[in-house]
Amino acid sequence: MSHLTDDELVLHYYDEDGPDIVRVERHLETCVDCARAYEGLSRTLTAVTPPAVVEAPDDTIALRQLLLERVHDRESPLAIALAWLVPLLYPWSAPAIFAAAQSAHGWVLVAPLLWACAGPAIAVVALQRGRNRFDRLTTRLRVLGALLATVTPPLFLVVRAGQLLDWWYGAIAVAALLALVPWPVSAGSTPRLKRLHRLSSLLLGVYILAHIVNQSLAFVSVESYAAMRGVMRLASQQSVSYVAIVAMVAMQIATGAAMGVKKVTTGALARNVQVVSGWYLAVFLFAHVWSPYLAPASAAPVAQALTPPHLLTSARSVASLPFYLLGVSAFLLHIGLYARLAALTWLPDAAVRRLSYAGAIAGALVVASVGLSLCGIHILR
Amino acid sequence: MHDGDVDVFLALVERHRTYMYNLALRLTGREQDAKDVVQESLLDAFLHLDRFEGRADFRTWLNRIVVNCALDHLRGLRRRPDAYQPTPLSDVADTAASSSPDPERLAASADWRRLVAAAMEGMSPLERITFALRHFEGRSIAEIAETVGIGNNAAKQHIFRAVRKLRLALAAHGVSS
Repeated sequence: MSHLTDDELVLHYYDEDGPDIVRVERHLETCVDCARAYEGLSRTLTAVTPPAVVEAPDDTIALRQLLLERVHDRESPLAIALAWLVPLLYPWSAPAIFAAAQSAHGWVLVAPLLWACAGPAIAVVALQRGRNRFDRLTTRLRVLGALLATVTPPLFLVVRAGQLLDWWYGAIAVAALLALVPWPVSAGSTPRLKRLHRLSSLLLGVYILAHIVNQSLAFVSVESYAAMRGVMRLASQQSVSYVAIVAMVAMQIATGAAMGVKKVTTGALARNVQVVSGWYLAVFLFAHVWSPYLAPASAAPVAQALTPPHLLTSARSVASLPFYLLGVSAFLLHIGLYARLAALTWLPDAAVRRLSYAGAIAGALVVASVGLSLCGIHILR
Repeated sequence: MHDGDVDVFLALVERHRTYMYNLALRLTGREQDAKDVVQESLLDAFLHLDRFEGRADFRTWLNRIVVNCALDHLRGLRRRPDAYQPTPLSDVADTAASSSPDPERLAASADWRRLVAAAMEGMSPLERITFALRHFEGRSIAEIAETVGIGNNAAKQHIFRAVRKLRLALAAHGVSS
């Protein structure tokens, strides 16, 4: 008679010996050695008891915080899809919306303006929701989608006039391919890039600010606008200053691109708005500088005349209005957010908050006055 | 998924948390590990709530998640020697063995529990999980195999090895079967 193995005894102890249960039971009744072994096993296993039931520690608050972080840390397929839909649909939907705006006079400003804002707004939403994991394809797809959604409106100025749709979709395909390859861990020395970015922004900032102030001034007085425009043109048409402006634009775009893509942070609204406004500005300035070569017809009203441009005179120029207003807003937001961050190191929070509100109101007034002057509305002619 | 979903989810799992914590405690043997496992399980359940099909009851679904999180947690501890410091059996065995050599009488004593806990730390993660599910939770081998995602025979073998290690560890320190 063969004895039962340890494994058979274990199975018997746990009632897991299936059809063999009767055979094993009979064997244990007749075999003293196996019965003793089984008794020893049973005694040991019976003494191995589970820990007493205790109450779970109350860590609801910590758990809730953890879950909330995860909610905001997840990649949102909707955010990715929306961001990519903007550049894909924009060249087709924008003309239709502008045509509709032309036929319905009440919506002539609102509809194109809203539509032009859609890209950057969706980009900010997309950057707010997701993970900061640039080693993941989904994060890279979302950020690149947001980048394309942001630059779509200013690039559309060029695409629309230049009939460059093939290039447009080619660029989107290249961007999609860029998401497939891993991105470098660090794009370069950030402090050095920051210094270069700030330095180049000084000259450019002064020039753009003067441009915006003058455009805003056109709402008050056409004469003042013409005088200041004459001076600015004289300055900017000098080959040295023109080259300097183009070089500063190039440096802004290059340093901004190196810093900006990985600077996006889920949930950090101010930082993401600054990045998005920077992206917008980069392409807006690029399109603005090169528009005389790429689309002479659309650039003519703004670049050449000493009288304030009146964008409501043709369908083509009406379409440009929201992009210019967005450009002004992006510039003010970009420098405003930077100034706010800088002020936080010197001033108390409450003072910075008050200054921010004042700056926001002043910025909104400037954008509104630029918009009114571009629509041909002036207090003094 | 929105912020409000978090509160709804927390309310939903509130009455299962004590069960989950005790299950995790039995599977891992340490309070801190059990706490971590419950947290990981709830995160996992929250993120994959859409996969709960309603065919099984909610507790069964949570149970499966806790088991697999515990398994991953124990495996993770093994990979990090700094985090995994099993209690040396000799530290607890002397007192347990000398004070009362009869396991049945020892069952209620703290020394005996520490001895068993130390012996169980010598098991591999799968041995520990399958043994704890069979022995403490009374799950059938078929059920354990399905939950852990292994075959019936593999589950049996893990339990056999776990019992063998347990008995050897106890016998080596004067607790005779």
